[in-house]
Amino acid sequence: MGLSVTLPASGHDSRATALPIAFERLFRTEYGRVVGIANRILNDTAEAEDVAQEVFFSFYRTHAADASYASAWLHAAAAHSALNALRARARRDRREAADAVAPDAADPADPAARVVAAETRDEVRAVLARLPERSAALLALRYSGLSYAEIAAALDVRASSVGTLLRRAEEAFRRELA
Amino acid sequence: MNDQENIEHALAVDDAPVDTEGALARFRARVGREGVLPVSAAPRRRIAARWLQALAAAAAIVLVASGLALSGAADSILKIFEPKSVVGVPLTQGDLNTLGQACAGLELEQCLGAYGTFAWDTPPQPKEVTTLAAASSAAGFSVKTPSSLPIGVTGQPRYGVINKSSATFTFSADATQRTAAKQSRTTPPLPANIDGSKLFITGGPAVVQIWGVPQSSSPTVGSGMPTLVVGQAKSPVVSSDGVTVAELQSYLLAQPGVSPQLAAAIRAISDPASTLPVPVPAELAVSHQVTVQGVSGLFIGDNTGIASAILWQKDGMMFEVIGALTERQALDVANSMK
Repeated sequence: MGLSVTLPASGHDSRATALPIAFERLFRTEYGRVVGIANRILNDTAEAEDVAQEVFFSFYRTHAADASYASAWLHAAAAHSALNALRARARRDRREAADAVAPDAADPADPAARVVAAETRDEVRAVLARLPERSAALLALRYSGLSYAEIAAALDVRASSVGTLLRRAEEAFRRELA
Repeated sequence: MNDQENIEHALAVDDAPVDTEGALARFRARVGREGVLPVSAAPRRRIAARWLQALAAAAAIVLVASGLALSGAADSILKIFEPKSVVGVPLTQGDLNTLGQACAGLELEQCLGAYGTFAWDTPPQPKEVTTLAAASSAAGFSVKTPSSLPIGVTGQPRYGVINKSSATFTFSADATQRTAAKQSRTTPPLPANIDGSKLFITGGPAVVQIWGVPQSSSPTVGSGMPTLVVGQAKSPVVSSDGVTVAELQSYLLAQPGVSPQLAAAIRAISDPASTLPVPVPAELAVSHQVTVQGVSGLFIGDNTGIASAILWQKDGMMFEVIGALTERQALDVANSMK
């Protein structure tokens, strides 16, 4: 029988495509920041890079790379996509709760000490997952180094409101830890 | 350590260096593997352009009889579609999921490319003008505008004009099968008389009037919607070099994923050559016929009562009123247009 099957060479995809120059520029400029935002939420670089790939892919399919809102869109999508991934992880963790390790005890009377004590990845991320979407996104964007103006653009709020919203988000974060 | 420093500390992560070039290579490979095309051009003003593009797509396409007559091809051309009325066709979530697969996130050309070759002869090029008179002049017809506006719609509108556009679509059995294979689905073979046949489509000129988008707006993600959009366009015309509406309808309704309800609703259109079917997501919106400007039109309202639209055809023109309006308000706007 003259049947032959050709498999793609490992580690190389001959169908790799040239991307528009504007998109490559955007990717190079924003990839690190998008991964950073996702990693701030997930604390897992590999998972954050997966999220970043999905974010850029969604953008590529539906928006022009030179759109004025490109960066803001990517920042917002990074935060929301990572929060979705975090919540999926939390659901998975709850199912596996039998194997979970209890968090370290801390003095409940001292919120500051409690925050410091909450450095374990699981607890901090669980708090982020429980926060309202916008509050969690605000914290992730701010503590990833975005300016108030960049946060305002990403979350479609007035720049003058970012400070107030951020304070509320921080209070909510502390309450969840308490 | 203050509270902010505490939170910053709690949210601190190991900022491992990322391999941007490696990530870009993975991205290129995926785009190649999945055959996804980029969106080509950024709209200058996102919100307005979205409406302009929607209207351009709705009014889509090409070859006017005059152009064909000049080319000597008129004898072989059959006008198969010129809307004289509009009717709602309910789509279920299942219909949307299935039918949306081929076109999700794609531009019109890319979506139609799943079934053949789509080429603009004269592409739509939306532009903004500053006055109603300028819009009328650019469009070549008298633009009607509401003489009364509902409460909440204020200020001066912005005007968009889309040129008369034309395109040619050539059906391809190969492209249809390739697309089906890529989506892991089977599709009936394209009948031989449709394979290679052409549709010539003309649309426009069209004018949109948009209220609620500030002149100085610099839209960002999720910016607010316009409060009112009024559109007027020359009715689109579709001509064919052979295939008839009945043949096309028969093939398209046999596609997997087209529900019996949707097929029945489309077949129930008594005069498909002059009736524009408007898809209405059944779970999200309601629709019914209304009388507007003395003719039969279509009202579409979302289930929340927040937004509504009225579409009608009169004297060779298509009209639409869309906004955050009640049905009564939308009808009043439509009937006040002069």
